[in-house]
Amino acid sequence: MRKSKGGGQIDNLRQRYINTADILLLPGYNIEAVAQGLTFPSSVTFDEKGNLYVVETGYAYGEVWLEPKLIRLDKAGQSVIAKGKKNGPWTSVRFHDGNFFVSEGGAMEGGKILRISPEGRITALVEGLPSIGDHHTNNLVIKDNYIYFGQGTATNAAVVGPDNKEFGWLTRRKDFHDIPCGDVVLTGENFESEDVLTEIVGDKALTGAFSSFGTKTSPGQVIKGAVPCTGAILRIPVDGGKVEAYAWGLRNPFGIAISPAGKIYATENAYDDRGTRPVWGAGDVLWEIKENMWYGWPDFSEGKPIKFDEEFKVPTETKVKPLLQKHPNDPPEPAAILGVHSSSCGFDFSRSPAFGFEGEAFIAQFGDMAPKVGKVLAPVGFKVVRVDVNTGVIRDFAVNKGKRNGPASQLETGGLERPISVVTDTDGSALYVVDFGILKMTDKGPEPQVNTGVIWKITRK
Amino acid sequence: MKKIMLIALISFGFLSLMLHACSSRKAEPHKGEEFQAKDEHVANGEKMFMEHCQKCHPGGEAGLGPAINSNPAPQFVKRFQMRHGLGTMPSFTEKEISEDNLKNISDYLKALKSY
Repeated sequence: MRKSKGGGQIDNLRQRYINTADILLLPGYNIEAVAQGLTFPSSVTFDEKGNLYVVETGYAYGEVWLEPKLIRLDKAGQSVIAKGKKNGPWTSVRFHDGNFFVSEGGAMEGGKILRISPEGRITALVEGLPSIGDHHTNNLVIKDNYIYFGQGTATNAAVVGPDNKEFGWLTRRKDFHDIPCGDVVLTGENFESEDVLTEIVGDKALTGAFSSFGTKTSPGQVIKGAVPCTGAILRIPVDGGKVEAYAWGLRNPFGIAISPAGKIYATENAYDDRGTRPVWGAGDVLWEIKENMWYGWPDFSEGKPIKFDEEFKVPTETKVKPLLQKHPNDPPEPAAILGVHSSSCGFDFSRSPAFGFEGEAFIAQFGDMAPKVGKVLAPVGFKVVRVDVNTGVIRDFAVNKGKRNGPASQLETGGLERPISVVTDTDGSALYVVDFGILKMTDKGPEPQVNTGVIWKITRK
Repeated sequence: MKKIMLIALISFGFLSLMLHACSSRKAEPHKGEEFQAKDEHVANGEKMFMEHCQKCHPGGEAGLGPAINSNPAPQFVKRFQMRHGLGTMPSFTEKEISEDNLKNISDYLKALKSY
């Protein structure tokens, strides 16, 4: 059995440096670093005058808790507009109608959507979103006076297990689990694991789907749907108000953007090979999001059923058992299927002939978190890809130079590390790439490195 | 002496050619130009590759699975492997990938290798 060779599996970590010559683009494009030394940046936006702002998450996997921040970047340097509390990660920012709108991931006390005035006054438009699990309240967009945002699931595949203790949250919230947006009928499959909530060695726990750790389920059992739910695209009116489920059955819908044709698209970070119901070979997906559609989680991947399927079976495990007796609908076809464990995150569409590739989606690939998410034979992601949403064809757009793919820290170059979002500027002539910085993966878990985040700007010559 | 130098030169040239041909990185930024499908078979092959192969072999490079671009096996062997699976690679039935689509994937991989 070959060892995992993920991009975060770095032996000797050197201080990050920047060298744009280490990044390859198609001829005719140019890249520059416009800010560096940031700590866990996740998203950028522009005000009505074209000024650039960035949010720092304030939280990173590995249970690193800092202050989330909204920062203005200009020639004079950085000025902090607003700071959050110990409830990151702030995953997204958009400027709209004179205010900033921020997704607060809510790993400690639940997710929020915040409105922040230019003076830094913070108002929560909604709070208490179910974000204290593996995945959080994700990127947002504003369309037709609604804020649409992704809400990640609590778990990998709807069953709470020892892997969730490793994330840190199961010890804090023993009762937490996934919540479907609509009623679901269970097959009653239960999954055995070590009882990680007791001190007694050898204790076992049986856990069913959409239930807290150690809670069994039975065939035909109905789990009542509730909103806000996990694994969904949710929306609220732009001035605040009731949360609505817009689409569901999405594992971790991290990125969200509106196409030039006015359609909503989202990236879904797909299953990992971890936990008591591991899934193998699940590609991340770019979806067109349609109202009331169920996208297949936790019984489908990429629109295909995973139950008893060879393609999604972990080599050392039995085939994946289904959790739902009935499915709300047949999931649609993906717009594109991206690399397994690529962590295809924030994205935007090209809207301008000045930049080129009009109508194509540019997706930031954060890169694998192997071996915790499963094994890979080579680093996956760590680049920006472009996608023709009509054909599903994916092409590399910005990659690191070298004989093999990987983050700059592993290649020991001055290139891209972990791109987490892509945003076009106001007139669409430039593409800003938010690079989260170094996140090393060890046997103990992730080790994110402060002050290693970078904002890159790509323009056409 | 001249003969030895000539053999060394030819060997070096052959080795360079092999190394160049075996590089798994065929992405547009590496090649310095956009990949253009020369006909409908290649275009369809690229779409099929994206649907079935890209997720484990992004751009033909290694990922969850090994690199395809640098795999010197003939295309018919690769098609056999797609149909029957090998190790952790699943098999694809004719219902999942038709014979024509399978051949188009080969057309695409050949075009990607040589562009």
